[in-house]
Amino acid sequence: MINVDAVTIDHGQGEQTVRAVENVSFRLEKGKSLALIGPSGCGKTSLLFALSGLLAPRTGKIMIEGEEVKRPRRDVALILQNAGLLPWKTVWQNANLSLLLNGDFPQQNAAKVLAHLGLDNVMSRFPAELSEGMKRRVGIARALSTSPSVLLMDEPLASLDTLTREKIQDLFLNLWHEHGFSMILVTHNIEEAAFLGQRIIVFTERPARISATIDNPQMGSLDYRDDPTFQRVMSQLREALEV
Amino acid sequence: MKRILTYVISIAALFFVWEMASIAVNAINQAPLLPGPFDALSQVVKNAAELQRNFAASAWRLILAILISLATAMPLGLLIGREPTLDRFLSPIIYITYPIPQVALILFLFLVLGTGSATKVVMVTLALFYQILVSARGAAKNIDEEYVTSVLSAGATRWQVYRHVILPASLPQILTSLRVSIGLGIAFLYIAETRAALGTGLGSFINKYMLFRRDKAFAGIVAMAILGLLLYIGVDLIERILCRWKYVKRRPLK
Repeated sequence: MINVDAVTIDHGQGEQTVRAVENVSFRLEKGKSLALIGPSGCGKTSLLFALSGLLAPRTGKIMIEGEEVKRPRRDVALILQNAGLLPWKTVWQNANLSLLLNGDFPQQNAAKVLAHLGLDNVMSRFPAELSEGMKRRVGIARALSTSPSVLLMDEPLASLDTLTREKIQDLFLNLWHEHGFSMILVTHNIEEAAFLGQRIIVFTERPARISATIDNPQMGSLDYRDDPTFQRVMSQLREALEV
Repeated sequence: MKRILTYVISIAALFFVWEMASIAVNAINQAPLLPGPFDALSQVVKNAAELQRNFAASAWRLILAILISLATAMPLGLLIGREPTLDRFLSPIIYITYPIPQVALILFLFLVLGTGSATKVVMVTLALFYQILVSARGAAKNIDEEYVTSVLSAGATRWQVYRHVILPASLPQILTSLRVSIGLGIAFLYIAETRAALGTGLGSFINKYMLFRRDKAFAGIVAMAILGLLLYIGVDLIERILCRWKYVKRRPLK
């Protein structure tokens, strides 16, 4: 269970303080998925960083599994916009980053995930040698190498072409079913939110406040994109975002 | 192979210009002031043993100075680049002392450290120190924060952020500035070596012969050029090994 309780996040100090997130509360049950959508730069990424323990809220509390989040947790993985790969490390080293840093995650995990994602023949390559889609898959392998119970994603599919984007959305859906982690996805893409979010929270312009919550219980299958409900959820989202 | 060929062609061109300059200078002054490249090269062969001794003396001073300046300026520069409080305190000191020509300290160094190798190594270290410090600071300041966030979210400690992100991300820029600074280091070494009477090193060799045996002095200059070139190639090779990721083919695999 993830519990976000009246969280407000500020950046900077003194007179230069900028409010990024204002009084946001929500809950997410174990194994469920949630999409956070809002205009670019509204502060949703700050909220995600607070969830991952990289940033402390000014007021309010974030609890994961009954424990207040104060620093990065081992059971929470974060996937960044550009996959967050280190250019000077090989695919194998990047996928094993948590193991490299903490020393006590089983290596077989990363190997298994890399093989599953079709990356076992590029393990000794550097990120610069990979296509954009492959880089994202390495980022996913890195996140899954620690068998997380929560997967946080910050616009993980930004700047991908449509086809690769859909392929990786499908991959996320399959991995979610397979691994059973809770998933929080930050996006500004309506279609992505409707495809991957069981619940979708819509944010206002900065500072981010919740302006609407849309339930999307029928998501979860690969052919959901052809479902009329999918189209309906997308129009609801468009309306909520005042597009 | 192609690289070696271009080297050969450029050296031939250099010798040609040198020979022309030698003919012109000597004709104008009506005295053999500037020896040509072949006079100098034949002196390199004739004085091989003496040159080798002095070459070795200069080479180890330079290498030692490179190692000391890397070991001190690199960590300090990276720290200043990443820790704002440290930057606020130390940057003013750096920018006040940076423009002081370190050569101005040479007599003082001779007084304190004597006329042996210590002064010469310190002199070159001082020159390289600032170059490396400033480039390490700049490189560390400009690192894409996504890399830092990436390792922090995976549970990295502060030390691990330096080890896995700040250092490898800054290394190419630091090594490039080191490569560029080798010329400066050699100039400082030359000055230090010529100031110490009866010392070893290519600087004192050149100095000793410049007035009466210019062909030998120019053999020393050739040796100094070779030393610079070898160090340049050495740093280049080290960069290609340590920063292999910068040189991979950027042709995305499917």
